[in-house]
Amino acid sequence: MFEWLEGTKVSMWVGESLWGYPIMLGLHAVGLAIVVGIFVMRDLRLIGFFEGISYESLDSLRKLAWTGFVINATSGCFLFTSQATTFASSTPFLLKISMIFLAAICAAVIQNKMRDEAPQWDSSGAVIGSVRAIAMVSIALWTGAIIAGRLTAYL
Amino acid sequence: MEGFVQAVEGSAINQWVIGTAWGWPIMEIIHFIGLSLLLGSLLVIDLRMAGFFRQLNIVATHKLLPWTFVGFGMNLVTGFLFLMGDPARYTANIGFWWKMFLVAVAGLNALWFWVKINPVMKTWEPHADTPLVAKTIAWVSLGSWFGVLLLGRLIPYIGTG
Repeated sequence: MFEWLEGTKVSMWVGESLWGYPIMLGLHAVGLAIVVGIFVMRDLRLIGFFEGISYESLDSLRKLAWTGFVINATSGCFLFTSQATTFASSTPFLLKISMIFLAAICAAVIQNKMRDEAPQWDSSGAVIGSVRAIAMVSIALWTGAIIAGRLTAYL
Repeated sequence: MEGFVQAVEGSAINQWVIGTAWGWPIMEIIHFIGLSLLLGSLLVIDLRMAGFFRQLNIVATHKLLPWTFVGFGMNLVTGFLFLMGDPARYTANIGFWWKMFLVAVAGLNALWFWVKINPVMKTWEPHADTPLVAKTIAWVSLGSWFGVLLLGRLIPYIGTG
């Protein structure tokens, strides 16, 4: 299946045209900066930094972060097609994808909790412990995804 | 530039960068984490300063600034080490010089923020719209930093001498 993918027109365009690969790589970096940057800032707030930004207002950043996620995932799919067989058997790549998948689940859990409980956290001044723990796991997963992503180019 | 390249190549720092096992990928990892902190914190600060996300308290968003500086510091150090490791490739690359130009623009813009906005910002309504000068500074900041990001990622692909 991965060999078939590498033979498609899309794969050829990404892998062999002059601008296909650089454009996708550029978009992948922009998406990364947005999704990791925004989610990590949100996590840092939940852990206890940036006092004065209400927990309720954090939710407004959700769409921007997921926009970054979509840019990242879409460009990532294009990049994947260019060397599908190599990526599909690369341990750091598979680790990266697993960590992104788990980080996205963390983000979904956090935003559901925030929607229900943020006003309470604002009035009591503290986030419940389980959400703080998930925020820390989320930071670790995004950091791990960046590390594994970079190592994909080397291993 | 030839003199610079000759001075760097073979120097102790040059040898250390290219001779350290896993040095280059580790520096790249730090550079990527740094850019996420820099751009993530600036996205929140600048988009609020551009008038978006008014639910966010504008004065409080500036508490993210130390993380901007941490990210910038990580990238300044690792970026300098990249240059020391492979001076000929970077100095011959037009993308690298455009990137450095945009870093300088972003730096001057930060200075403009420091002079014009920082002294008066504490008196602003936390959830109100922002004046034109603040919006301008915010967009110059986002434009220059995302330009830096793109040029940095594309250095291997554009205008290699």
